[in-house]
Amino acid sequence: MLSRAARPALRAGAAAAAARPAALNATNAATYATLREIEGRLKSIRNIEKITKTMKIVASTKLTRAQKAMTESRTYGQTSNTVFENAETKPLEGEGKKTLVVVCSSDKGLCGGIHSGMSRKTRRMLAEKPDLDLVILGEKCKAQLGRSNGKNIVLSFAGIGKDVPTFADAAAIADQITMLPTDYTSIQIIYNKFVNATSYDPVTVEAFSEEAIAASPNFAAFEIEDDTLSNLREYALSNALFWALAEGHACEQSARRNAMDNASKNAGDMINKYQILFNRTRQAVITGELVEIITGAAASEEG
Amino acid sequence: MAFAWKAAGLTYNRYLAVASRVVRRSLKEEKRIAAERRGEMDLRFAKWQNGKQGEVKQLSTANEAAMAEHASGSSS
Repeated sequence: MLSRAARPALRAGAAAAAARPAALNATNAATYATLREIEGRLKSIRNIEKITKTMKIVASTKLTRAQKAMTESRTYGQTSNTVFENAETKPLEGEGKKTLVVVCSSDKGLCGGIHSGMSRKTRRMLAEKPDLDLVILGEKCKAQLGRSNGKNIVLSFAGIGKDVPTFADAAAIADQITMLPTDYTSIQIIYNKFVNATSYDPVTVEAFSEEAIAASPNFAAFEIEDDTLSNLREYALSNALFWALAEGHACEQSARRNAMDNASKNAGDMINKYQILFNRTRQAVITGELVEIITGAAASEEG
Repeated sequence: MAFAWKAAGLTYNRYLAVASRVVRRSLKEEKRIAAERRGEMDLRFAKWQNGKQGEVKQLSTANEAAMAEHASGSSS
């Protein structure tokens, strides 16, 4: 019912200029109806604009916090990466060993294509190596990848992206990943790298396995005892996860801000268009009524 | 070098979480509230098998249960 009622107004909006003669030709009853329809649509677009504007403001305030958290978390990730850089750790090249891919998305949508960008990257990796296992953080990528690559998923996490991710989140996820029965030679974490406020890149960061750390050429320089090696690996994994989560969160907020900015702009454009259409139709109705009165008066004078 | 917490089945991350919780709780009131927010974790997770999502569980309880099981498994 609603869609059918909205259709004439929509068509009129698409071709405002072309619709004018049509509106003039239409019967009076129909013109009144479109006038009311246009008014209704105007109201609803105004409401949508209000909502998107508010969401933009919310995202902006969250973005500043998220960016702060991101710069702080970068320290965690980079410090732990320095160890591996100095030790010249490289992922082990071995046949029959499994790779785990952790996809860091979030639960919420309405933020443009950042989740689908990550899903695309994951699918590309799956096309090259079909036996990857997936761990998915966040509902959005779970829904996208669950449909196409459900067989590869081993774990999925939900509840991410409500707030700035904490280290406790990352540590708990890392624990659950380390407790997986399969032994993975390398864990790759896919997240959105924050390039600037308008562009993000899905990239991977590597978390190494114990053997890979032990086999790294410069490893002896650190004098790590064997017992602590597994601790280092667990800690490095949660560090990397924390970094990825925080950076992904910042990207999401900034993407949402942009998406909502565009949505508000579009709503503003539509409001302008409909306002003009509304005024024109109103005048057409008035002119039509005047013509009728004058013709009526002229006819009664003659008679 | 043997670790007591490792014998109890805790992972390093869990050990860290417990230790940091203790530190946070011993802070002064006004700092403690801000600090404890950093330690919050409210995630749910699900295991997948053959392309089907399993039961959704709370991550914190599942982690504790898994570690308790790990501890009893290693001690016996």
